[in-house]
Amino acid sequence: MSDLPGLFEVRVRARSIAYLFATGATLGLLTLAFPHSDEVRDVPLVILAAIAYLVAAIVWLVADRLSDWHIHAVVASGTAIISLANYYAGPGTLYPILYTWTALYAFYFFPLRQAAAQMLFLGVAYAIVLAAEDANMVVVRWLLAVGTPLVAGLLISQLLARLQRQASRRRQSEERMRLVLDTAPDAFITLDRDGCITTWNRAAERLFGWSEEEALGRTMRELIVPAEHQDRHDQRRRELIDADAPAATQHFEVEFLRRDGSRFPGEATVSKLEASGEVIVSGFIRDVTERVRREEERVALGREQAARAEAERVAEVVGGMQALVDAALAQRSLDGILRDLVAQVRGVLDAGRATIYLSGDHDRLTVGASTPGEHAGGEAFARRAAAARDGILVVDGYSLIGVPLLAEGDVMGVLVAGAEPPREFSSEDLTLLRLAAERVGLAIAHARVYEREHRIAETLQRSLLPDRLPELPGLEVAARYLPAASEAEVGGDWYDVIPIAGGAVGLVMGDVAGKGLAGASMVGRLRSAVRAYALEGHEGGRVVERLNRLLWTEAEDSQMATMLYVLVDPAASTVRWVNAGHPPPLVVAGEEVRFLEGEASVPLGVLPFPTYQEVAAPLRPGETILLYTDGLIERPGVHLDQGLTELATRVREAPRDPHELLDHLLATLVPEDGATDDVALLTLRNLPVPERFQVEFPAEPESLAPIRSMLRRWLHHAGADEFEIAEITTACGEAATNAIEHAGTGNGAHFEVSGRRDGPEVELAVRDHGSWRREREDDQGRGLDLMRTLMDTVAVEPGEDGTTVSLRRRLVRRGGDS
Amino acid sequence: MDDLVDVEIEQRSNEVVIARLTGELDISAAAKTGDRIAAALSSSALGLVVDLSRLEFMDSSGVSMLFSLARQVGSHRQQLRVVAPPGRPVSRVLQIVEFERAAAIDHDVESAVAGIATPQASPPPRG
Repeated sequence: MSDLPGLFEVRVRARSIAYLFATGATLGLLTLAFPHSDEVRDVPLVILAAIAYLVAAIVWLVADRLSDWHIHAVVASGTAIISLANYYAGPGTLYPILYTWTALYAFYFFPLRQAAAQMLFLGVAYAIVLAAEDANMVVVRWLLAVGTPLVAGLLISQLLARLQRQASRRRQSEERMRLVLDTAPDAFITLDRDGCITTWNRAAERLFGWSEEEALGRTMRELIVPAEHQDRHDQRRRELIDADAPAATQHFEVEFLRRDGSRFPGEATVSKLEASGEVIVSGFIRDVTERVRREEERVALGREQAARAEAERVAEVVGGMQALVDAALAQRSLDGILRDLVAQVRGVLDAGRATIYLSGDHDRLTVGASTPGEHAGGEAFARRAAAARDGILVVDGYSLIGVPLLAEGDVMGVLVAGAEPPREFSSEDLTLLRLAAERVGLAIAHARVYEREHRIAETLQRSLLPDRLPELPGLEVAARYLPAASEAEVGGDWYDVIPIAGGAVGLVMGDVAGKGLAGASMVGRLRSAVRAYALEGHEGGRVVERLNRLLWTEAEDSQMATMLYVLVDPAASTVRWVNAGHPPPLVVAGEEVRFLEGEASVPLGVLPFPTYQEVAAPLRPGETILLYTDGLIERPGVHLDQGLTELATRVREAPRDPHELLDHLLATLVPEDGATDDVALLTLRNLPVPERFQVEFPAEPESLAPIRSMLRRWLHHAGADEFEIAEITTACGEAATNAIEHAGTGNGAHFEVSGRRDGPEVELAVRDHGSWRREREDDQGRGLDLMRTLMDTVAVEPGEDGTTVSLRRRLVRRGGDS
Repeated sequence: MDDLVDVEIEQRSNEVVIARLTGELDISAAAKTGDRIAAALSSSALGLVVDLSRLEFMDSSGVSMLFSLARQVGSHRQQLRVVAPPGRPVSRVLQIVEFERAAAIDHDVESAVAGIATPQASPPPRG
């Protein structure tokens, strides 16, 4: 019928038309009650009014059951009744106004086309009435009665059409919304201001087990909020409603109740809406049972994994720290401890970097050891930890831990570890490092004290060993000093090589029993004393007796020392030695290796007046003497004799070169992890004497003594007696002195000394590169006199690039032999 | 290296100064040694004894030093005596350069000191 749904229900339309019928009839009857023209016929009008009342009553009663067609028919019958009333009332009455009512009704309640049809019927009916009445102004009256309601009706119709479209759209929107809500996976509930449920979608029905009919008009408290949460629920609802913001939203997770009494965790998003002054609370509720279960599983799994990892880590840490503390207590060098510590900390904490700052003087911090890289601001951070005297943990993108290393209340240093994101330190890491720092701080303190003493003692002791050994013509010396690997104490070992007037060389090898600082200082005194006594030319036994006296009277704590004093006389090819409780020296002669035993006496400092006997033995050209300290032969569990035997074996197989000999002994006799005690070695080789020699010396006075020493030795082996040796050496010394003076003061000038045996004669030559100045000063004149007197022939041969002085002398003994 | 020669000065009864030389005396230390001995000799002393008995070696520079000392001592009207036991290299050198023309040579220190304590005509300076 109509293309749009009617704006009003049938009942409203039916009852409205019933009102109109009743009102029209009442108005008609009222006109009859007042005085009126005779042309008005009362009886038909009363009958018409009655009919109208009747229709009105029927329509009122059956209003619910009427169709659109019935309404149309009623309206049309109304037009017919009005037309009859107009006819019986005659012209001049105002009954045509009733047409206007009808027209307005039609346009108000009917779609436009049906309303127009009613208007057509109405217009025709009135036209018939007007024609039958034979009245004046027919057209005007018709137009007034029909035209006015037509125009008004059209306007009403337009207005209603628009309202109808809007209503239709709203209904569609509501239906779509309803559809959306019903198909939504989450429960959707709205409440009015009083908390009564106004919306309850399908999902809500499924989720809670209550149907929409059951839920609407009731409260959430009654249906789905567990008793223990009800207060909180009310509070939350009130807060939401009272919130200032017009669209406040809450999001929370809470437990809900199903119809069957079971419970589930729900996630609710609740909003307040204000629509046309009405407050609505709407909320989505989602069942998160599955999500919560998965989360709990994940958390449990994570916790388990973390616990396992933590356990493994703790085991590792304990192991690491144990190793660390062991290392620290093993009293290795401070550097070693620190390097180990930073490496351990880095590994154990999975830190990016670790640095140990050490406290210095004036509260300064210096880097003691660090893994590669640097902490930005690490020192400032370390300073903070030192000032706090407690560990600090900072997590600010970059994680830092600083722990002071305390020992007896003093801050020895600060350990700083840093981790790059995503690794972050935890308070457990801090606790761990604190524990380690307590122990390590003490170890570092010990190591520092020890190192300071050790360093002083070592410096002192080093200063007591010769910087370099003297160069001795015809002799070659070599020495080695190997500190003990454990660095437990600086040893009291020392050695010395002392050139003595007349070409002899004193060799000293000693071992003071006291170690550390006290030992080192006693070494210093003994060394000075032995040098002084030796240079004074005392016989070996007396030298050692004086040293014993020194130690006996001056040493604290009854210090003791063992010592070897060996006087090598290369000219005589002999050694004279005194042994004060020291391991015996050893002589290598070809394949034979022999210890210089006999007359071993008590160590120094044991008896007040012991006597020390000097013993002599040959040391021929090509032979070597070796002095050593007991560190070389003493090893735990090895008998001393066994050590000596092994030493002899190693010496026998070693190269003859003094340096190579010592290196071989250190390589074969010292354990790979280092000696347990200091080892000092000193060797001297009496070089084989050649038939002839040619040696270059710097043109300086200091060359004279070595030249004499060399000549004495060579002349001895050339067969010269003591007397001849002294005279020839003196003559040759004069020639050398001249050469030195001729060379001037220029640096780098050299001269040559050569010698050869020529049958019973020896010939020596001194050749310089200067000019032979004939300035006959007393010295030179005397020198030349000496040469001429002491030698058989003296020849001065000026050459182009220098002067050669040749000296010849016939040796008595050799001459006699040959 | 340490000096080869060592000088020990002994002042005896404020009249005689004894200088004991040990080691070897050559040009490397001769001048310095001479200066030390000269400095030890006060003008009030009667004389100087230079003890060479423990000297292992001496060359012409040592001899020059002794001659120089003899000149200085003579100019102050003091005496110089040199101790050099016979048979040693140093004695041989002194003998060759005829040092006895400049100063007396004794065999031991005590005779030298006694020689100075007994006033006698000092030998004429070497001409």
